[in-house]
Order: sequence, then structure tokens, then C-alpha cells
Amino acid sequence: MGGWSSFISIVRSLCLLHAANNYLGTTVITYGPSMLPTLNITGNLLLVERISTRTGKLRPGDVVIFRSPESPRKVVCKRLIGMEGDQVTYVVDPKNSDRCETIVVPKGHVWVEGDYIYDSKDSRNFGAVPYGLLKGRVFWTLLPRKDFGSLAPKPK
Amino acid sequence: MRQWRSIAKEAVARASIVVKFLCFLHVTDSYLLSFSHVLGPSMLPTLNITGDVVLVEHLSHRTGKVGSGDLVLVRSPLDPRKTLTKRIVAMEDDKVTFSLDPTRNYSSRSLVVPKGHVWIQGDNLYASRDSRHFGPVPYGLIQGKVFLRVWPPNSFGSFGQ
Repeated sequence: MGGWSSFISIVRSLCLLHAANNYLGTTVITYGPSMLPTLNITGNLLLVERISTRTGKLRPGDVVIFRSPESPRKVVCKRLIGMEGDQVTYVVDPKNSDRCETIVVPKGHVWVEGDYIYDSKDSRNFGAVPYGLLKGRVFWTLLPRKDFGSLAPKPK
Repeated sequence: MRQWRSIAKEAVARASIVVKFLCFLHVTDSYLLSFSHVLGPSMLPTLNITGDVVLVEHLSHRTGKVGSGDLVLVRSPLDPRKTLTKRIVAMEDDKVTFSLDPTRNYSSRSLVVPKGHVWIQGDNLYASRDSRHFGPVPYGLIQGKVFLRVWPPNSFGSFGQ
């Protein structure tokens, strides 16, 4: 019977962890060049909070994680540029031309872009992201140590 | 003083039982089964207009086992606080032909569902706002698959095609 009670307590602590994960916050590891210089190319460990997405208190300039609209198993980290109803002007293909386009973000969607627009697949490629795919707001960097602290605002 | 301490201890113990039960309920709710009350005319005649209570399972969409013909709960792409109940008509890379106005058959369009998206439609095409209006929906918005109706009791059972 000792094995059973320890199994129960493991299940209980996993349930508590899962509930905290879903309603409070979690950690996420990111890598890739699309958020340079804010995030590293080799990887960051970030703290994510889920309260802002549930209460709808996100603002342009927040770094968010969301489920990719193209690959539903992947979680993507980008910066929020526009909320629904905002007018967004973006450079379509900064490596080849300076052409800009302006759109209005449709209802129930948000516009996200990476900080390093030369190497980032974001709303300029897959369009505005439905708000329901957002999973949390990144608010603190844990690793690497030299970047410990809150994230930098959008570079000019 | 001692009386307050024992009362506080008892209160914390009772509250922790409630919290633990709610956590367990939440985990079963998101990963296994949950009940859902669905209403509205968009899924006639499969679902009633006045409301049905259905059993929803949350395993299939995580393992990628939802497909065409399944009734699913989907978070609305227009209002993230609303959950829609619709049928998946086409998965990614399928070609879908639809007409916005079903009373006029000649105004039909077709397109290929993009990668990572699904095409959902209500069974009652005359009174349903679905992918014909807001386009294909990302797979990540699917919350669960409806597989059993539990209320009203005279229509208890699973759904046809």
C-alpha cells in the first residue's frame, strides 16, 4: 500500500503543476535568429506568464509565445506588433526590396513579427494569428546568466 | 489564540482538499473528457437548436487523429472567448468546394486548405457562420472531438455522418 500512496501523491503534485502551468506561468526554451538582438540564436530559457493572455491584457510591444498556424505542434516566440483593429505597416521582404504594405488586423487576430525581420517567419508570411492560439507572454529571461532580467523593448 | 490556530489549520486542510480536487478535475477536463452544452441552429439536424449536452474527448486532437466528418469544438477565430461546435469538412491539402449562399447553386468557389489548417462547416448551411465566412481555421484552435450526446435522454447516443 506504500507504493499506492506515493503514486497518488505523485499524481496530485503533477495535477497541481499542470494547473499552475496552465493558469499562472511556465518556462520555455527558444532558439533561432528571428528575435535577435532581444533573444539569442543559440537559446534562451524564458519565463512565461499566462494571466495576460487569459484576461486580454496584452499590448503591442509584448513578446508572446503562440502555437504556429502552419505547424500546430510547434510553439513560436515573436513580438506583438498590432492588436485587432490596429493598422500595421510592414516591410514585405526586407532582404530584396523596401516595399511596404499596410493592413488592418482583422477581428479576433493579432499581428506578430520577429525583431530580426531579415530572418523571421512571422505574420508577414502566415498572416494575422488568431488570438486563441496565443499561449502566454514572455516577461523574464532566466538563461543565459548575462541576460538575466526583463526583456528589451522593440529595437528601433 | 490556540483556538484560532486549530481553526486555521482545519480551514487550510479543507481548502487544500478542494484545491486538489479542482486540479484533478481540470486535468481530466483538458486531457480526457468533459461535458459541453451546445446550442444554436448551425448544426441542425445533428444537434438541437435548444441545446444538447455532449461528451467531448480531448485526446484525439493532441495525437492528430481528428479528420473529415468529425464533430469538433473549436475556439472561434473571430472571438477567442467563444467556442464553436462544427464539423470538419476538409483537412490540410484537401480541395474544398463551397457556396456562400446555398439557395443559389451556381455561385460556388473552391480552394485548397493550407498547411496546418482545417475547413469547418455547420451541418445547417443556411444558418451557420463557419469557414465559408472566416476562412480555414488553424489546427491549433481545435479543443476537442464531440463523440456522444448525453442530454436530452431520448436522443442519447453517438452521431451519424
